[in-house]
Order: sequence, then C-alpha cells, then structure tokens
Amino acid sequence: MQRGNTLETLPSSVDAQRSAVERAKKSLARIILGKDEQITLALSCLLAQGHLLIEDLPGLGKTMLAQSLARTLGLSFRRIQFTSDLLPADIIGVSIFRQDSGEFEFQPGPVFSQLILADEVNRATPKAQSALLEAMEEYQVSVDGDTRSLPEPFFVVATQNPGDQIGTFPLPESQLDRFLMRVAMGYPDEVSERELIAGEDRRLMLDDIEAVTGPEILIELQKSARKQRVSDPLIDYVQALVRHTRESADIEIGLSPRGAQALIAAARARSFIENHSGVYPDDIQAVFTSVAGHRLKPAGSTRFRSPSELCQHVLDSVAIP
Amino acid sequence: MKVQPRGTDGSLLASLPWTTGALVISLVPHVPYLPIWITTAFIACAVWRYVIEKRRRMLPSRWIRGGLALVCFLGVFGTYSSISGVGPGSALLAIMAALKLLETRRRRDQFVLLFISIFLVMSSLLREQYLWSLPYLIGGILIILTAWLRMSAGESETAKQSFSTSGRLLLYAAPMAIAMWVFFPRLASPFWAVPIDTSRGTSGLSDSMSPGDISSLSMSDALAFRVQFDAEIPESRDLYWRGLVMTRFNGRTWTGSEPRVGTPIEDQIEFRGEAVSYEVTLEPTRQQWIFALDMPREVSLARVFMGQQQQLVNVTPIEQRIAYRVVSHTDYIVQADLQAVYRDWYTSIPDDGNQRATELAWQMRADAGSDTAYINAVLAKFHEEEYFYTLQPPALGSNPVDRFLFDTRQGFCEHYASAFAFMMRSAGIPSRVVLGYQGGEVNPMGGHLIVRQSDAHAWTEVWLERYGWYRVDPTAAVAPERIEYGVQAATLDGIGQTWGFTAAPQFLQDLTMTWDALNAKWNEWILGYGPDTQNSFMEWLGMDNPNWRKMLLTLVGSVIAIILIISGVMMLRYRPPAKDGASILYNKFIRKTGLQRRVGETEQEFALRAMTDSKLAHRIVTSVTIAYLDARYGIADDDALTKLRTAVAAIP
Repeated sequence: MQRGNTLETLPSSVDAQRSAVERAKKSLARIILGKDEQITLALSCLLAQGHLLIEDLPGLGKTMLAQSLARTLGLSFRRIQFTSDLLPADIIGVSIFRQDSGEFEFQPGPVFSQLILADEVNRATPKAQSALLEAMEEYQVSVDGDTRSLPEPFFVVATQNPGDQIGTFPLPESQLDRFLMRVAMGYPDEVSERELIAGEDRRLMLDDIEAVTGPEILIELQKSARKQRVSDPLIDYVQALVRHTRESADIEIGLSPRGAQALIAAARARSFIENHSGVYPDDIQAVFTSVAGHRLKPAGSTRFRSPSELCQHVLDSVAIP
Repeated sequence: MKVQPRGTDGSLLASLPWTTGALVISLVPHVPYLPIWITTAFIACAVWRYVIEKRRRMLPSRWIRGGLALVCFLGVFGTYSSISGVGPGSALLAIMAALKLLETRRRRDQFVLLFISIFLVMSSLLREQYLWSLPYLIGGILIILTAWLRMSAGESETAKQSFSTSGRLLLYAAPMAIAMWVFFPRLASPFWAVPIDTSRGTSGLSDSMSPGDISSLSMSDALAFRVQFDAEIPESRDLYWRGLVMTRFNGRTWTGSEPRVGTPIEDQIEFRGEAVSYEVTLEPTRQQWIFALDMPREVSLARVFMGQQQQLVNVTPIEQRIAYRVVSHTDYIVQADLQAVYRDWYTSIPDDGNQRATELAWQMRADAGSDTAYINAVLAKFHEEEYFYTLQPPALGSNPVDRFLFDTRQGFCEHYASAFAFMMRSAGIPSRVVLGYQGGEVNPMGGHLIVRQSDAHAWTEVWLERYGWYRVDPTAAVAPERIEYGVQAATLDGIGQTWGFTAAPQFLQDLTMTWDALNAKWNEWILGYGPDTQNSFMEWLGMDNPNWRKMLLTLVGSVIAIILIISGVMMLRYRPPAKDGASILYNKFIRKTGLQRRVGETEQEFALRAMTDSKLAHRIVTSVTIAYLDARYGIADDDALTKLRTAVAAIP
C-alpha cells in the first residue's frame, strides 16, 4: 500500500514532522477542492486519535475524503458498505470450519484494517452498528471468546446521510459520543465546482496519490500533537465555553467533562497542524462546532435550526479571557 | 473478585518518595516507643516497594501480602499481648501502613497512605503533648499536605509551589482550629479520655529503698514538678518536699506501710510560724504520692488524704499532669506524744546482722548521755570522719549498714539516711526514713522552682520528747552543699570532678531556663485549658455565666465569621486572568486600533479586521498578534513577553 519512499525513516526532527503534515494537507487539497477547513478538521481528528463522522448529502465527496485520507496517510484501508441486512460477522469476521484440518479458522473481517470507511452507517441495524462502535471504543474485538487486538493506528471514518429518513437507524446520542468529530462537507464554492466538473476524474486521481506518512510516522505525529502546550488562560476559555453550554437556555444537555477533554485534544491536534506555538483560542473555535455539535442536545424551544448555528452562537457569546 | 494486575510501570516513581517520606515523618515520634522490628520492617517495606517500582518488577502476590499481614499481626500481638491501647494500636497502624505500600499501585492507594500518615501524626499526641509537639504537628501536616498536592500536581507545578499552597491551606485553617479549641465546651467529666500508655510513667522514687543494691544513681534531668510560690521562695535548706515514709527495715531494705487512709492526722500537728502558699504542677508519676513542703496544712485536691506518717496520698495514681495549691508551714511540731506501741514499732530492727553498727550505737549512746547529744555525735562522726558523698558508691552486699559505716564510707543520701536511722533505732530512738525531693532550681524567666528527678532525696526523722518528729538530714552533715546548692554542686565539688563533670556554659543554662519557662506556660495555658480555665477565660472575654450552650453558639458564630472573612479576603485578592502581563499589553494594542474586540472574536479574526478597519500597518498588527499569541498561549516565558512589549512599543 505504501508507495511513497521518501519517508522510510521516522521523522524524529520537528522539521520532518512539519513537512509530513504540510505535504499531507497539500495532497488532500489537490483532490478535495475548496474544502481546506474540512481537510484540516479530518486530519486533526486522526492526529487526536479520534474517529470521524462525516455527515452530509450524497455526492458531496464524503467517501472521497475518507479514501484520500487513507491513501495519503499510508494506512491499510477497507470499506464497509452498511446496509440493512449487514450482520456483525460481516464486520468482525467469522470462524470457518476447515474440513481438511478439522479445526475452526478465524477469517478476519474488514474491521482488521487501519482505516475503516463505514459508509452510510445509519443504514444498518443497531446490532451491526454496535459491533463497529464497540471496536471503536475498545480497540479490540471478541470473537468466539477470543479477544483480538485491532491494528494500530485504528481509525473509523463513518459517513451518514441525514436526508434519508426511511429505513434508517440514526445513531443514538450516546453512540455519537464515540466520534471525536462530526464534520459536514457542504457544497463546494463556484470555482471549485467548475474545476470538479471540467477537470480530471477524481476517482482516477486517487490512484496517483502518494503516501506521505505511514502508520509509525502517524503515531509519532500523534505523540507530538499531544504535547502541544495548553496554557491556563486557554483552559479558562474552555471552561467558560463548557459552562455556557450547560447554562444556556438554548441547550438542554451541555458538554460533559469528556466533551471538554475531546475539545482540548482536537484543538491540540489542530494547533499542531497549524504550527502554532501553543493552543490558541482560534484552535478551539475551529474545532468547536465539529466536536461539540453532536454532543449538545438543543432545547426544544431553541431558535437555532442546526447544531452548527447553535455552536456558533455559543462561540459568539463567550468572551475570550 | 477481580484480580488486580501486579506489574509496575514506573509511573509512581515521582510520587512514591513523597508518600513514603510522609509516612516516615509520621512514624518518627512513635519510633522510640515501637519495638525495633516494626521500624526495621517499615523501612524494609519502603525500600522494597521503591526497588520494585524502579526495576519495573511485580508486586508481591496476594498470598505473600496476606502471609506478611498475618505474621505482623501476630508479631504485634506477641510483643504487646494485646491489640488495643496506644502502644499496640500505633504499632499495628505503622506496620499495616508499611504493608499497604506493597499493594500500592495507583494514586488512589497513595491517598489512603497519606490518610494513614495524618492519623499517625495525630496519634503521637496520645503519647505526649510537649511544646515541641506543636512544631512537629504543623511541620508533619504541612509535608503530608504537600505530598498530597504533589499527587495531583501538573507537570509545571514545582514542589516549592505545592509546599506554599499547603502552607496557605494550613494558614486558612488555623483561625478555625483556634476558635474550636477556645470555644469548644470543656466538660468536667469528659465522655472519653486519652488512654495512657502503660509502658510509660517513671518516677525518681520507688516504694522501697535498699542502699547498696544500686551501685550508681543516674542524674535524670526529667522534670518531677514545678512550683510557683505566691511570695518569696523559702531558703533552699527548708525545701524538703515530703513524699513517702519508710518505717520498716529488714536489715537490707527499707519499706513503707501501705498508704492507708486513717484517723485524721492533722490534729496531731501544731503549725507555727508563717504559712507558705504555692502551686505545684506535678508530672504524671503513676504513683499516689502528692509532694508538698514539710509540713502541709491544706491541699486543694479533693481526693487527697494525709497518711499515718504525714505523707499526702491521692486516692488513685497520678496518670495525668495535675496542678494543686498547698499551704505549708516550715515550722511545726508533729506528734509531741507517741504511744508506746508506736515507739516499739519505730525502734524495731532485725535481731541478726549489722552487729558492728549496733554495738557502735550502744557505745556511742552510752558515751553521749542524752538522745540529743547522741544524735549530734553521730552527725559529727559523719562530718568529721572520712565519709564521702558520691553517686557511684560501691555495692554493699549483706550487712549493708556495717559495710557502709566501717568499710566503704561512700554513698549518697539513701546510704546516710539508712545508716543514720539504723543507728537511731539501735539506740532506742524512734526514727524513720522520708523519701521526697530536696531543693530545686529557680527559673529566673518564669520565677518558679523546677524540681527534677535528680533532686530526689532521702532523709530521716527522729522522735524526741516535746519536739515530736524532728527532721535530721545526715547527708547535710557529709555534703552540706547538696542541701544548699543541689546535687550537681555536691558532685562537682569533690569526687565529681575526677569524673569530668563541668558546669554548663551560662548561655546554655539561660536557654534551658527559657525553654522550661515556655513549657510551664504551655502546660498552664494550653494543656491545662480545662473547664475551670475555660470558664474564667470566657468571663474575661465578657460572657455572662458561661455554659456550653453559649460556647457552642459562639463557636458556630465565629467559625461562620472566619469563613466569611477568609472568603472575602480571597475574593478581594482574586485577579481575573485578564490582568496578566501579556493581556495588558494586548489591550493597549486594541485601544490603539480604535476598534472594539467583539465577544468571542479570536486574535486572528481581530487582526484581520484591524488590518482593514484601522490605520495601523499590517506589519505591526501581525507582529503584535503573533507575539501576543506566543506570550499568552505559547511558551509564555519572559522572552516572549519582552518580544510582545517591543512589538507594542513599536505602535506609533
């Protein structure tokens, strides 16, 4: 899978790590046009060791983003198309009885890859969904009483189509919590759309992507991201935000301490990608909507139509200390 | 039950020394009382645990830990043959805390250990409550609190910061502790009392006296009691503190009759001269004797009676430090009449043994002609012939009186008192030996008299017609300085010098005296703060008819007031984070742009707006914004702050 040869050795120096991040960004931006923000968020999510949920209408490049992420980062990649008749065994794998040896042999399912694309995750039954969600939480799966570890790193990028209402099983809030971020793609701007229509077929371009990192490098990058400095005033700011979500009349259920931790982790990764000297309020704001959006439960009486509007309102009401 | 993993990963390396250190500090006051194997096992466990963590070894298995716990429990039980009480209790606590170290895997376990160390520190009060206990308590708690804070400290917090935080916590707690101590109602009959360790309790006095068995007397500086006189301190030669009286002699050993509460003895005493009144603070002796100047007339204690030989006896042993007032007369006549049966009793000596002394007594009595002349003759013999006062006399064997009088001729008060009383009895003069203290040291700081165990003394009383029981101190005939200046002078002047005693330098004596004066005040005001003192203190504070209801109300009120004051001070001292150096400079920059920063507007967004809407150059906006972000959210050192200051100063 790893076709790139430039980064055989681990990037021990800061410069090598920087250039890896920059090249990954550039490589992704070449395929996903006009979506720099989403690309940065997706990368931040992976560097923060979180799982990503991409939610939008069909045809906006959800699958494309997931696939190009896997290619760019040099991870083993499997795609699972979720359907209503999908069984947990289709995800995890099954034990097959071999007649010649007279023993059961485990056939690993698609979940034993470093990056999983769970396409249209809300189409499958809760039973199949929970098989995946458990793997996401535990980083291991249990089959026939054996516990098998998943590869490292292990990411799940799930996509979900909010438009479909019939025959879907929306993920409950408690399970949404397992995704570090939920990102919406949105329509491309005019220039980008023109390029998409007229330019090269993106699907073909996928094959030309060179991997700029590998699993080991990715783990190093994650370590560096975790070391990004978080100052006291920044924690004050995060606490003020979290407090606001709990006290606001527009929000029924605010951010939990785990939500606050997720916010800091994601902002750390984003700050690392942006090469900031520490985590800035700007980093918090950049990841806030995607981290907090699916964790907040808006009040019934709220005037905000979407979680992102609600999150933006929170950001606009809390002063940066 | 879930089996806990036993592996270690070195994650406790930083915090283990703190926890262990806190435990060790809490153990220190117990060490002198604990059997040595407990201290050894404690240190061994601590070292063992540290090595396990350092080398990433496995913790001992549950079976080993359980076995060790059982062995230690049996060890404590075997040492004390009990598991209740201060001694076995603290031993058990100490050894189990050490064993707990062996199953400490997480931060939570260390918190448990810190709890235990606080308990150990506090339980040292069950043993002793000296003045130095206070600095130890404060220091110990301070260090344990610091260890506690270290457990949850972030990477950037230094040990010094944790230490000052715990100091602040103690400081906040201090007013509340003082209020509780002052106002919490003291009850005359408490619901519970501190159990006294039975292994403790020493006195300079024993219930019997065998001169010659002890071949050396230690000069214990331990305090026996302190005396505060209302008026001037009497002359040193009048300072005979009566304790117990020995009436029976079997040839080797003097013993007293059991202290018995009998007919009022006070009637047989005729008090003369001026009364001396004073207050005695007696250290616990675990004996029943109450010490007072010869001859006491009134004692303020309710459960004290005068025995047959005018000794003061408390109904129960003195387990705790007590203070009492006494009125004495140094001039008195006791039992001018002595019944014949008592005369026989006080002149009885064993028929065999000490023959040479008996013969000498008969001869000297015959030569003297009268009882008084005979007494003077015996004293003169001690004074003029070669008799020595020493604290290291040779052993005497059987017939100790003979051997002492004719061969060794060296001894301390017991030898002379015993020999003198024997000589008196041989000649038919009723006599007895009194044990107590003589003299004492005046503390110029507190103005009181310190009587130490080394002031213990034995003297004799002889009964004479018309004079009653008359005190004769044969030691005074041998070493008058013992009576005038105390034991130390007597030993220094003579044999003591050859043993290398030298007087302590003046400043050291001053220091000792100041320390003693402080201790006296500590005992009087802090440890002696009981129902009476509290009541009078409350009245002094202006409380009418103090009772426990009023005190409790005051206590609750003052605690609330203290909490309000402290939180008020904290609120006043609170500075919102916006006041730090970087944000002051950044606010200056915002003012210079002439724009208002919107709520929730990030620095980058504001910079973009400033570039378009203000007159400031893009370069300046960029440099200030970057410097500010670095100084506030980045490394945030002085260097970054200087850069920001330079950038802001560059704004026209």
